[in-house]
Amino acid sequence: MLRRARYELAGRAAFPILTALEAWQHRLKRSRKQPGGGPFGPPLESVRRLKELMAHHYFQGRYADGAVPVAWVTSGFPVEVLRALGFHTVYPENHAALCGVQRLTPEYSDVAEAAGYSRDLCSYVRTDLGSVLSSKTPVGRLPRPQLLACCTNICQTVLYWYRELSRHLGVPLVLVDTPFVHGTASAHQLAYVKEQLEELCLVAGRVSGKPLDAERLVEVTRTAREGSRLWGECLAASRARPAPWTGIDGFFHIAPIVALRGTEACNGYYRLLRDELEDRVARGVGGLKEEKHRLLWDNLPVWFAVRRFSTLLAERGFNFVSTSYTDAWAEAGVGIDPDDPIGSAARTYTHVILNQDLPNRLDILRRLSRDYAVDGAILHSDRSCKPYSIGQVDLRERLAAELGIRVLLLEADHNDPRSWAAEPGENRLAAFMEGFE
Amino acid sequence: MRNQEIRTQRERHGRQAVAVLPIHYPKELLTALDLLAVELWGPPGPPRGDDAGRVQSYVCSVVRNALAFLAGGHADSVDGVLFPHTCDSIQQLATLATDLGGWTKPAFTFLHPRGADRPSARRFVEAELRRLAGTLEAFSGHALTEERLAAALALHREVDAARGALLDARARLPLDDTQLYALLRRGEWRWPADHLVELEAALATLAPEPVQRGVPVLVTGYVPEPAALLATLNGAGGYVAADDYAAVGRRVVRATPTPAADPWRALVDRYFAAPPCPTRGADTGVRMAHLAALAERSGARGVLVHVLKFCEPELFDVPAVKQAFASRGLPVLVLEGELEGALSGQAVTRLEAFGELLQGAPGAA
Repeated sequence: MLRRARYELAGRAAFPILTALEAWQHRLKRSRKQPGGGPFGPPLESVRRLKELMAHHYFQGRYADGAVPVAWVTSGFPVEVLRALGFHTVYPENHAALCGVQRLTPEYSDVAEAAGYSRDLCSYVRTDLGSVLSSKTPVGRLPRPQLLACCTNICQTVLYWYRELSRHLGVPLVLVDTPFVHGTASAHQLAYVKEQLEELCLVAGRVSGKPLDAERLVEVTRTAREGSRLWGECLAASRARPAPWTGIDGFFHIAPIVALRGTEACNGYYRLLRDELEDRVARGVGGLKEEKHRLLWDNLPVWFAVRRFSTLLAERGFNFVSTSYTDAWAEAGVGIDPDDPIGSAARTYTHVILNQDLPNRLDILRRLSRDYAVDGAILHSDRSCKPYSIGQVDLRERLAAELGIRVLLLEADHNDPRSWAAEPGENRLAAFMEGFE
Repeated sequence: MRNQEIRTQRERHGRQAVAVLPIHYPKELLTALDLLAVELWGPPGPPRGDDAGRVQSYVCSVVRNALAFLAGGHADSVDGVLFPHTCDSIQQLATLATDLGGWTKPAFTFLHPRGADRPSARRFVEAELRRLAGTLEAFSGHALTEERLAAALALHREVDAARGALLDARARLPLDDTQLYALLRRGEWRWPADHLVELEAALATLAPEPVQRGVPVLVTGYVPEPAALLATLNGAGGYVAADDYAAVGRRVVRATPTPAADPWRALVDRYFAAPPCPTRGADTGVRMAHLAALAERSGARGVLVHVLKFCEPELFDVPAVKQAFASRGLPVLVLEGELEGALSGQAVTRLEAFGELLQGAPGAA
């Protein structure tokens, strides 16, 4: 009871005070700052709200365990069931990315490696396991989970990762296994996933201490679908010339659809962002001051160098107007149907980009390239993400040949700067850009 | 040898051959349909063709070598390829080689359910087995009758029983590790009934008392390549007393409850009775208990973890293996390889040092 009150208080009273304080500091800082400068257009006003939203999520999370049921969840997990049961969800991938941006991965990875985990494992995993084993996190504190919820639709790695979390934390693991799709999923694949979702309802219900309310699930499913639609509208704003924001902005603004999917807070935020983007389009305000070339990005961001990449590109008028990574959350989520929350979730979550064959991936890249009228593409060959990276050599050749665009395969890692050769990498990037001039 | 076997089976028995990627697959279905399975573990050594370059260097050598091998025409003697969805990388190889170039003959997939044995997974496996059987029937031109399937199941039970008996009685088997693994790994490409004959011949040579004089070692890992590792281990004073290689021991189904009368049910039971394997998402605790039992039964005094570089399923379990055996006081050596043609000098040195450590351990011979 007391913990619940503290959790609510943290979200409703303490956090707004802290936010107001931060906003005051922000205004003070801005008033001292010289205006203009740099290749970017005016910053998005929504950014501050985004920071508040995510900070609120993590701040309230500090007080979640013992107050509400807590689950740690993979990004592609059918979260609607958990949301309907009142779980506070933590996304270790999102947390790891946050650590990546702050360049904390080497420190946390060292801890994981000292415990015997190979440096060849995914850097999200090493970041997260290092954080768990060292009890260090840049967000103050992560609530201890009562349930680990893993879906294999983004990779098999998450199963091994969550199995290790389960071993270290002594917490049950619930798995939604989505066999890989060649072409379209077979009836028995979908039946298998649906049956596991039904099992999930029972297991998560037991952990939360209450049965799943079917009405609530319908409501959450509707909200989640709306969230994906709104996120899609935000991304689609970049079809305009100039694009009203940068693809790099998109990498950061993806956080709510990943971590807060199925909540009104998420949807409210994307309405705000969409309206701002549409307003910028109407006024001809771009993410860059001068947009000369439009690019497509494939694979996860290089979190620790996002700002650096963005600046290097922007200085020469290059903008990522579309990314297959951010698009994935817009593509998949609109398939869920409040009239059939479980059946449609089985279908939707099985057909996400990384759980489908390479012809499907090529189709997505072709479509994004055409819809967003790109002149070139950068395929991030990500040492830490094999399912996203295997096949890119062929994809590069096909995209270049079929669409007549320049395509660069750039090897890096989404979280570990030790796997990124900055000088040769930036040199390749510069040579790629020179090809457009 | 593989090509000779493919030719012989085709000429004498009219059998087609199917190359099979690692690790687990329902071999019984292929046997029942008169299809010769020829497994493709890489192959080891440098990639045999430029197509390896279509896969990044941070992906395991099994996948890179297999793509080069298939696309380079080296597997043209087979009539089709089966890609079990073992891991993210082999899963991607299945679509890369068949959809974007490298393999134009028929290709088949087998999807594994991950995680624990549960009713939904059992239903999925049966449906997936029936789906695969349907495509293989069309490919082979044979109808899969229940009698054919039951006969294949009986044959593979015998093969597994013989392989299991050889591994269990390892100390009494007058073969060194190189010879033992050459025998066991011929099962990757020989017709099962012929392989059974050579297994039974080896069983007939079992001595009444232990003949192995080295220090017993438990080996766990992906595949015993390069084979020189085995000779080096023997030279360093150890021998493989217990095997948990994905290519070998992890595919020997030892549980022998009364088989179900319905062959499909029996096939599903066999699938789930296989030893725990990380690629199938086995529970870590269950797997560690299995390894501990293997070590205890064989009297192993050390553990060799022989992993393939970039192989996530295996690498994830390394800390748990170390922890499990440290608590039992058994030394653990982790050796990482890349299907190289020869054992590196560094690996030889480490194995020799490990052998010395084991021979100096309390109770050593």
